[in-house]
Amino acid sequence: MKEVFISLRRSPYQSIAAFMVLFFTLFLSIVLFTSLSFLYSFLGFVETRPQVTAYFQPKTEESTILDIKDTLIDSGKVLSAKYISQEDAFKIYKDLNKDNPLLLEMVSADILPPSLEIYAKKPAYLPELSEYLKKQSGIDEVNFQKDIVDRLLSLTNILRKSSISFFAFLIAMSIIVLTTTTLFKIALKKDEIELLRLLGASKFYIKKPFLLEGIFNGLFAAFTSSVVLTGILYYFNPFLTSYLRGIPKLALNLDFYELVIWPINMPFFALTFALSALFGIFIAIIATSLATNKYLK
Amino acid sequence: MINFNKVTKKFPLGVIALDNASFKIDDEFVFLVGASGAGKTTILKLILREYLPTSGIVEINDFEVSSKKFKQVEKLRQRIGIVFQDFKVLSDKNVFENIAISLKICKVHTNEIKEQVKEMLKLVSLQDKEKVFPAQLSAGELQRVAIARAIIGERDILLADEPTGNLDPKTSWEIIKIFKKIEKKKTIIIATHNTDIVNSMQKRVIVLKDGKVVKDAKKGGYEL
Repeated sequence: MKEVFISLRRSPYQSIAAFMVLFFTLFLSIVLFTSLSFLYSFLGFVETRPQVTAYFQPKTEESTILDIKDTLIDSGKVLSAKYISQEDAFKIYKDLNKDNPLLLEMVSADILPPSLEIYAKKPAYLPELSEYLKKQSGIDEVNFQKDIVDRLLSLTNILRKSSISFFAFLIAMSIIVLTTTTLFKIALKKDEIELLRLLGASKFYIKKPFLLEGIFNGLFAAFTSSVVLTGILYYFNPFLTSYLRGIPKLALNLDFYELVIWPINMPFFALTFALSALFGIFIAIIATSLATNKYLK
Repeated sequence: MINFNKVTKKFPLGVIALDNASFKIDDEFVFLVGASGAGKTTILKLILREYLPTSGIVEINDFEVSSKKFKQVEKLRQRIGIVFQDFKVLSDKNVFENIAISLKICKVHTNEIKEQVKEMLKLVSLQDKEKVFPAQLSAGELQRVAIARAIIGERDILLADEPTGNLDPKTSWEIIKIFKKIEKKKTIIIATHNTDIVNSMQKRVIVLKDGKVVKDAKKGGYEL
């Protein structure tokens, strides 16, 4: 570590340039990662809401509705379908309006429509299910979250695709800048490297101080960018809390772990730091190796 | 054992730096002498494998230096110490660190490094200067640091390229005294112009002229 600090002190401008480009790359990367995680978890949340609700005319036979339900389930496109009878609907209505006796007096179970709440296996099936339901007898109205899901899907897709291009650009830019700054540093130590080679130093022995410095820069930039992102998210926490009122939790369900995105929490920040540190170290190692290999060749 | 067998080194523009040179050096103190451009430095660089011979064979301890196995070249160089006319002492490292670098390369343990460097500092009479940086040392002291760096550890071949070239006569003799102290344990090859030193030492002398070995005397002298 002593040699790393000496090197940082000996060439401060190159070190600052290396740090800043890594910070810029890692900060933008974790902002993108956070945004994508948030959008995916929000999409997951929306997908857990009833996605298509088909309201039937009040006098529709229960058997007709249950037949439609069975057909939908047999289609293989529906995860689950729930029949809400007029009585169930009235119970829900009473519960929702328990503080308003006037509204309760005006409504009875007879005038409320029976309905089916349908959860599709994929958001892409929603328009098809909606169209099918509209054609059935006894249907009064079909509501589904097409707009919200479509917008979320397209936003997530755009962000994912643009992130890939943006990541590629950031990685290329960082590697070029870091390779150049490392080549400057190598030029400053040219005599020392020449002597070390004549004394029998291995290529790794010569590369090691540059690699250590790169790893230090990567870790420091990852730490700084994570701290800045944490600060920004905590600063906007009151606004986000108000905006996301009614959403108790947003999470990504990985096979082995449930990653909670909202409310903001330390494990998520720890993961963000770990990913940015790995990313920073990866960029630093690639750039340093390119520069040192070019010189040692 | 260093063995040059019909070694020729030609540079791209046709300059012949060494022409069909053959000799063997075995645990000896040898002076390489000759005018500038005679091929002295080329011989040292061929031993260090900074240059590859155009033709012929250079062998060191039965290892042919033309081999492209870099790991073996590194191992070979870890057995060779080199002293330059311009010292090549690292300015941002103190005396101790400059000498220790030779051992660090060979992955010697830290405690062992401390012991060996202290011993070496005594040998070159710099024991009170271990924390001093090169900018505060005289030319003679810098060359002593370079010698200590070149002979520390298991480096049993010492190559010196004009080691007294930048020194006054008194300091030059101090440096030669250090070489004499270690001559029994090492193969020492010194490329020099200094006739006084060569003639008074009465060691083996290989004389070069235009890249050719023109004289190889067991206990010789030298005249310009």
